Amino acid sequence: MVRVILRPVLRIVTALLVAASLATAACAADDAVAMVVDLIGRDDAAFRAIGLERIRTAAKGEAATRTFAGLLATQAPERQIALVRALADRGDSAALPALAALVGTSQDASVRAAALAALGVLGSGAEVPALVKALAAADPEKGAARRALAILRGSDAAGQIVAALESAQPGLRPVLIDILTERRARAIVPALTTFAADADPATRQAALRALGAIGGAPQVGAMIAGLLKSPAGAERQTAEQAIVAVCTKNTGHAEAAKVFLAAFRAAPESDQEALLPALGGIGGQESLAIVDDLIASPDAAKRGFGLKAISRWPDASVSQRLLDLVGKTKEPTERDLLVGALIRIAPLRDNKLSDGQKLELVKKTMALCDKEDERARLIERTSAIRTIDSFRYVSGFLDTPALAEPACKSVVELAHDRQLRDANKDEFTKALDRVIGLTKNQELVDRANAYKAGKTWERKKG
Amino acid sequence: MPFDPATLDAPFAALKAYDWTADAAPLKTIDQAAIAAHADAALRADLEKRLCGILGGGPSRAAKEYACRKLMMIGTAASVPALAALLGDKDNSHMARFALERIGAPEAAAALRTALGEVSGDLAIGMISSLAARRDAASVPALAALLQGDATIAAAAAEALGRMSSPEALAALASADPFAAGGLGRAVVDARLACAEGLLAAGRRAEARGVYQALLDAAKGKPAAKEVELAATRGVLACVDASLAAL
Repeated sequence: MVRVILRPVLRIVTALLVAASLATAACAADDAVAMVVDLIGRDDAAFRAIGLERIRTAAKGEAATRTFAGLLATQAPERQIALVRALADRGDSAALPALAALVGTSQDASVRAAALAALGVLGSGAEVPALVKALAAADPEKGAARRALAILRGSDAAGQIVAALESAQPGLRPVLIDILTERRARAIVPALTTFAADADPATRQAALRALGAIGGAPQVGAMIAGLLKSPAGAERQTAEQAIVAVCTKNTGHAEAAKVFLAAFRAAPESDQEALLPALGGIGGQESLAIVDDLIASPDAAKRGFGLKAISRWPDASVSQRLLDLVGKTKEPTERDLLVGALIRIAPLRDNKLSDGQKLELVKKTMALCDKEDERARLIERTSAIRTIDSFRYVSGFLDTPALAEPACKSVVELAHDRQLRDANKDEFTKALDRVIGLTKNQELVDRANAYKAGKTWERKKG
Repeated sequence: MPFDPATLDAPFAALKAYDWTADAAPLKTIDQAAIAAHADAALRADLEKRLCGILGGGPSRAAKEYACRKLMMIGTAASVPALAALLGDKDNSHMARFALERIGAPEAAAALRTALGEVSGDLAIGMISSLAARRDAASVPALAALLQGDATIAAAAAEALGRMSSPEALAALASADPFAAGGLGRAVVDARLACAEGLLAAGRRAEARGVYQALLDAAKGKPAAKEVELAATRGVLACVDASLAAL
């Protein structure tokens, strides 16, 4: 009986306690927000810094975020930037409407750039139109919008950028393609196959670059079309590099190489000429058979294409062919091309030869060099073979005045390998002393001294 | 195996003649006895008596310091008179406090309080520091009284009250000027902030916020009090966070 009477009373008491607790919570939260608002409005930067820190990390909730974002309208530009960054760090998308409004209303480019950057952090596909529009502005807005589009989250973001790309002005397309490539957005691939043959060179190049990064066998045909449409020079080279990447590095590269070879065989002779450098860059037995046929051709032009292709071979599998060809040719231009190829190939890290075989090839190539600049290049490139034998080989040229400088460079480069240097300390110390006495290059002197002292040396970037 | 007290005769003879340059090897037996005394009440009483005997009269400062270190480990109320006798001695006061700070008996705290009323200058600051280390609530009135005197002593007293972090200590600090000249004002502020942090850590959010708010109110409009205002602002925000976390 007592229980029956008490039950509703207990319910009322519980409800009152819950209501009181919620009211207290709301009061404390309001208190926290009010304090932050007060701090943000202070003249002293130290107090504003506390307020910004609170915006980043405390006073959670969308309502609080909207209150803080609402302060943007009343702040001076410099303070707006700080507040925008704090709101971005806070990570609450409830700030997006205020940030988007700031992009549209601020008279200050730095403020607009900060707001665009924040849209990138907090936004999703819905922010793409505003960000794409800002790509047409000057820096810093353009750069901020570009970075924002590259990092924009949300499952719809990439799709929205692709849609924007399809309807964008030609001038914006290369930038959007680069952004989508940075995002490694597979959704862009079908559009890229169209843009690879676009009338606008910049769009074409961007599309080919993108396909080089994320393309595969199904896109090789479009890439070939793009290459054939590109005029000789830098643009053609971009296309060649992209095709070589797809056929030698990207996922499914063997299949892509097959597609390329089939397309090459089916292509008219004039197109084959344009595709030969890419063929040489891809390498492989089937490519080599085609190149061999061309080199054996009585037609001088065809032979020339074949030699150009073999001179771009990606590994040392053609080294004996190159040596034979140099021995037989009487044409100085052919000789230069083939010796240049040997100089490049002999010390290649991934050329499938052992270190000893690489050095042997270097020595054979050296015997074929009849110009100082060829010898100098070969000596410098020999430093890629990180062995004591290659060190001893290049050290031998320190005594040849005309080749002393490249030999110095090569010795110092080999000394950079701590393991090699420490295992042969006395020999390296003597050689580095000679470098210090011989070279006119101050950086080599500094490096030699550093290595002698057992220190390392930071390579300059770029 | 029980420790034989008879083995201590020779080491204590050596201790009586001990000085900084002497061989400390004979004292190792006393070290071992101090460890064994934790499980042997009779040995502890014997050892304590012998060590107190070193504190009076002739032995060197080095011998007295050694005795104080051992009494810090095994001392009881029985050691307090001998240690208290050294509190006014500028050479041995700090080592006597070193032992009295760590002897749990209330007599040890009482000795420090008594000495606080009898010594001055650096020795008084030492007593204040030891009483703070003991968190001796009974010394709060004496420390509160010192807030009004010499600025250096008052700063030490304020710091001690801050370390105590009790409501009584806080009440004593409330009457001190947080913007007093010299180091006193800063010490008072630090002490109040320390008290507030203690209250907040103990879950007494409203009281902690009251301390921070009082400092904020006091600092308002004083350009030189910016650090105080910043610290108190952070304190209030910490109270708000704690309130939200508790809900």
